[in-house]
Amino acid sequence: MTAPLTETGALGPTGSLIMAPFIGLGFGWFLERGGLGNAPKLAAQFYLTDLRVFKVMFSALLTAMLGGFWLDRVGLLDLNLVALPETFVLPQAVGGVLFGAGFLVAGLCPGTTCVAAASGKLDGLGVIGGLLAGIVLFDGVFRWIGRFYESTPMGAVTLADITGISRGLAVSLVTTAALAGFAIAEHIERRRA
Amino acid sequence: MNRIHRTLAIAAATLGGAAAVVGARPMISPTQLAAEIDKQDDHISAVDLAELIMKSDQTLRIFDLRSKMEFDNFHIPGATLATLSRLANDSLPHDSTIVLYSTGGAHAAQAWVLLRMRGYRNVYFMREGVYEWMARVSWPRLAIDATSKEKIEFERAKVLSRFFGGTPMTDVPRTSIPQGYWTGAPNDGALDSAGAVEQTTKVIRRRGC
Repeated sequence: MTAPLTETGALGPTGSLIMAPFIGLGFGWFLERGGLGNAPKLAAQFYLTDLRVFKVMFSALLTAMLGGFWLDRVGLLDLNLVALPETFVLPQAVGGVLFGAGFLVAGLCPGTTCVAAASGKLDGLGVIGGLLAGIVLFDGVFRWIGRFYESTPMGAVTLADITGISRGLAVSLVTTAALAGFAIAEHIERRRA
Repeated sequence: MNRIHRTLAIAAATLGGAAAVVGARPMISPTQLAAEIDKQDDHISAVDLAELIMKSDQTLRIFDLRSKMEFDNFHIPGATLATLSRLANDSLPHDSTIVLYSTGGAHAAQAWVLLRMRGYRNVYFMREGVYEWMARVSWPRLAIDATSKEKIEFERAKVLSRFFGGTPMTDVPRTSIPQGYWTGAPNDGALDSAGAVEQTTKVIRRRGC
């Protein structure tokens, strides 16, 4: 059996709907256990005193990348069937800055907001209200920003596509960068402690 | 760094380093490509394409691989002029339904292989190229002694033909309908000659379609 099961037909729409809450609950549970439902801890990364968000996110990225690459390599996963989002350089850069600013102010990102709200934190519920208001606002102003939203398209590209290096080498370089990042983060935390 | 962290870091470094050495699995194997061609999963009929266009399928991308002059003269609605080198480099959403056509079928078939090798899944080409569109959508024909199955197919094509400004023709002598016109795939050139395509193009252009 080859993954992704939803794309190969092994898991139909009903099976996907049944699986989705389990995956969502699992994701939320790990975020909570990682301490990412706590706004002050999340905001601490911007002051370089607690870099757990960086480490958790890069660990997830590294695990998914290495897992995806090797499962595909041994034939248990078909990476061609995994959805690859499109890149729009300028709007995504602006969106990233906006996201970072919101993260700093709220101390939460969308996933951790849900975790915080689910564990009864009032700030989490407040940020969820802000998220929903933002969605409505975005819909209202899309007619004016739609052109910018779709500007500077690059298509569904990967690091290997952009740089011309092989996918294997790209995986190796990202792994090296992530491990170096972990070492630097640990060093910064020790100095700040 | 505790022992678990060190072990995980070594495991990640090993897997990451090995990735560069072994390289990625080829996007698609020649055996898989051959199987798709054998199963005839590689092509789409002009009538099926016309239906997708009529339904405004948002994932549909149609590429015309003929010359700019031929494209400017006539192209399938919604098609974009493309070259093999552009298709080899440009990125498209991976959930796109890509349809390729050229004058006949050869050039589009080459582009099909190229895009499948790049990992695009929903890629199809029209075996008879623009001729097929002309014959089956612009100018569908029904023989005077048509079978009931041919009549059903013709009714489907008639609706599409009118949508795209074509002219369905009925009571056509059987001899002017290529063998396999409705039921299978006629050979290259059997649907229409290049001259007839040009003539059809002129008629359509005069109508302002």
